[in-house]
Amino acid sequence: MDASNLSIREINSLFTKKELKPSELYSKVFENAANSEAALHAHLTLFEEENLKKAAESDKRFSNGESTSLLDGIPIAIKDNINIKNYKTTCSSKMLSNYTSPYDATVIEKLKEQNTLFTGKTNLDEFAMGSSTENSAFGLTKNPWNTDYVPGGSSGGSAASVGARSSIAALGSDTGGSIRQPASFCGLVGFKPTYGTVSRFGLVAFASSLDQIGPITKTVDDSRIIFSSISGEDSRDATSVINNQLDIPSDNTATIGVIKELMEDGISDEAKNEVNKVVEILKSKGYKVKEISIPIIKLSISIYYLIAPAECSANLARFDGVRYGLRVDGNTSYEMMENTRAEGFGAEVKRRILLGTYALSAGYYDEYYGKALQARKEMIDEFAKTFKDVDYLISPTTPTQAFKSGEKTSNPLEMYMSDLCTIPANLAGLPAISIPTGLSKDELPLGVQVMSKPLSDNSLLDFSEIIENEVQFDGQPKGWL
Amino acid sequence: MFLKPTIGIETHIELNTNTKMFCRCAVVDTDEPNISLCPTCIGLPGALPVPNKKAIEFITLLALSTGCEITSKGMFHRKNYFYPDLPKNYQISQFDLPVGLNGELEIVIDENKDYIQIERVHMEEDTGKSSHSGSGRIESATSTALDFNRSGVPLVEIVTKPVISSSKQAVAYIEELRQLSIDLNISEGRLEKGNLRFDANISVAPEDSTELGTKVEIKNMNSLRSLERAIDFEIQRQTKALEDGVEIVQETRHWDENKEVTSTMRSKEGSADYRYFSDPDLPNMFLSNEFIKEVETLMPLLPKAQREELMTTGLSLSQSNILSKSDDWIKKLYVKVFDQTKDSVASYNWITGELQGQMRKANIEVLPEWFNDDYLSEIIELIKSNKISFTSAKIILTEILTTETTPSKVAEQKNLFQENDSEKISEMINQIIKENQDIVDRIKSGEDKLVGFLVGQLMKQSNGSVNPGMAKELLLKELEG
Repeated sequence: MDASNLSIREINSLFTKKELKPSELYSKVFENAANSEAALHAHLTLFEEENLKKAAESDKRFSNGESTSLLDGIPIAIKDNINIKNYKTTCSSKMLSNYTSPYDATVIEKLKEQNTLFTGKTNLDEFAMGSSTENSAFGLTKNPWNTDYVPGGSSGGSAASVGARSSIAALGSDTGGSIRQPASFCGLVGFKPTYGTVSRFGLVAFASSLDQIGPITKTVDDSRIIFSSISGEDSRDATSVINNQLDIPSDNTATIGVIKELMEDGISDEAKNEVNKVVEILKSKGYKVKEISIPIIKLSISIYYLIAPAECSANLARFDGVRYGLRVDGNTSYEMMENTRAEGFGAEVKRRILLGTYALSAGYYDEYYGKALQARKEMIDEFAKTFKDVDYLISPTTPTQAFKSGEKTSNPLEMYMSDLCTIPANLAGLPAISIPTGLSKDELPLGVQVMSKPLSDNSLLDFSEIIENEVQFDGQPKGWL
Repeated sequence: MFLKPTIGIETHIELNTNTKMFCRCAVVDTDEPNISLCPTCIGLPGALPVPNKKAIEFITLLALSTGCEITSKGMFHRKNYFYPDLPKNYQISQFDLPVGLNGELEIVIDENKDYIQIERVHMEEDTGKSSHSGSGRIESATSTALDFNRSGVPLVEIVTKPVISSSKQAVAYIEELRQLSIDLNISEGRLEKGNLRFDANISVAPEDSTELGTKVEIKNMNSLRSLERAIDFEIQRQTKALEDGVEIVQETRHWDENKEVTSTMRSKEGSADYRYFSDPDLPNMFLSNEFIKEVETLMPLLPKAQREELMTTGLSLSQSNILSKSDDWIKKLYVKVFDQTKDSVASYNWITGELQGQMRKANIEVLPEWFNDDYLSEIIELIKSNKISFTSAKIILTEILTTETTPSKVAEQKNLFQENDSEKISEMINQIIKENQDIVDRIKSGEDKLVGFLVGQLMKQSNGSVNPGMAKELLLKELEG
């Protein structure tokens, strides 16, 4: 038995029974990192030395029977756009290659209170903009199932790390699918909670109205444990909400909707088959399943690529070389700022800043950004209507299995299409989860996505666990342990 | 061709909240740079804004006090522009949904009331302070020092409609607004500290024209003198240009305090594109009816109402206006003295004239603690009952401002009580007539002026203790008889 393969609850049980020490698990996880990092490049920074002392403290708590937290001594990887005090937060950008955060994100504070251990900071697409973790200033990350393939993105480093067991679980951030898509590509559970349930304070903003922190884990229960630890209203985030969870049925009295528009052209047969497989299982268990049409979903990518770049064009304006991060000199302040931004940002980031700046410009606002806001509102209304008929919506997480490294880097539009199924949940603020369900003929993982109405995260997790148990996906990438 | 000027004024008032607008940093009044900072107000990655409720209360109070309609569903917008002292390179402000719209402010010029229409009252965060080396302009500075203490301090911006027609009106408007902010207790109202800063939009057009001329903005003045002179200068400059057939360029100009001229700062300001959009970090701000009612209970007696109240005591509009714009202790002292003496003119003259004059001359900023509010009433009563002369009263006032004593004690000690007994005065007059028979003869032969000489002799002999009015009356009677 390899402890790094176990779920959080199983590990905690071993800790409690004193059959395993947190420091032993911590060493094991770093052994896995040593085996996998050179090939995968999941982590940008590994924390081992610094956390050995904390692992020893966990050992002591468990040996004294004083531990009170399920996450005590659990090594978790953190996406490098979430601030940990006194560590670098680079966002995989040259712009922040030398930036150390003087403060903890709220989620980090919460995990520290639970005595979680951190394995390090994981790679991402620069400022979380991308779907393959190829847009990193510090080198790309590979898929642990097959290193010819991308791990997905932008939380590709987090997913690859959990896949290769160089962490037990990881935090990612999801703006248009950046948790769910890499989780799906790496055969893992990826959960994007309801917008506002997890504080964004300390998460470097990409698109503030869409960003949400969430877990990437091996099991639904692991996601549940982490979600319950990091969620909660935060006085430092004005968009955070009181986490008053709605209780909707997860047993077979629930009605399931299959989204018609996400089972059409552009979705691979393999991806559709996974949904059909799950639908059959649910029907056999007595769930009512029906096809649901939400036509506006077809506009998701268009809406998203106006709103997200518009917000990012302002959010990333602060990176100017004046106060921190990269500074490239110039003859005047303005020249310095221009030089810094020209050199500090990668191509995809620049593309989105330009897109967003354009969409917000005088004369274009109404035509582009204004229309996108309107369409977003309509989509929210459409989902609200849909959830009067069904409790959960099911679809593929991604249109295809993972693609090969380099395959889509020269075609941004095609790259954007890989987020087709995941973007609607961000636009509507819904909780959404990707559950691994099977392997493609190339032996790469596939997953299905389930969404539910805002603030029904716990029920969504319960329902997902039922699917997880029925599907019995026990795939695990080989060769890293 | 007669040209008429049209002026609109934008005023920024620094609110006197304890903490900044979007973080909990203290608002500090110090020259020591960068001592009150946090991740939010210096725009560190991942930091988020949380609105200061007190500041919104203050802004609502100002909007209500100027008779604005309150926008119950207000909104925060991002105003995007790059400047080194603007940490996020966008300023959180309000755009199409400001706190207040369409108000009016009563102003007073001499004995006339006037009304300035207010277009909007909205919230803004202040920027940091830049000190550019060399010329003081960013374009040519080789280095710039930045102080972010001011960054994020709450400001309220009040924008008038283009309804002001002279520098005199502009000054009266700022004086009124300043007093209003002091009485509302939302600002210190100290111009010399930059608590109020104003920009003026000035245009000149033929009197019969229905359209406004090309507008020129003069930025960042913070004294009434600058405002007055800059407006006068600009009206003259534009008038001359039009008369000479020179086109006026829409631009932003800078008022040079020393040279007393305006000069071009940047042109085409009108085309600056701030790409305003609703700040996704700050969900819509609802000002509930309960909140507005709560704010209404904080409303003090406004300057306009103070003037009306003062006029009921018998003061003129301009006197009431001067009092309403005086320090609080002066207003209170007036009310007290008037209550006791029922003589508005004497109360007003003694307080705003003699008392303030002597205090200024003697460099006394606050009344000494022994200075009883009743003393002025006592002095006025002593004059009115002819117990002391006006000259003696001034001497008494000087004494009680510098020495711990009372008006009657001073009068006693200095022998300032007047002789009001007509028999005693007549006795003295007879004596004087006897001693100055030659003068009496000359008076009788027509040299009326010499009566004054006899009164003077009388005052001299009585050490000024004789009631001069009575003395003159009795003397004349004696001479005629």
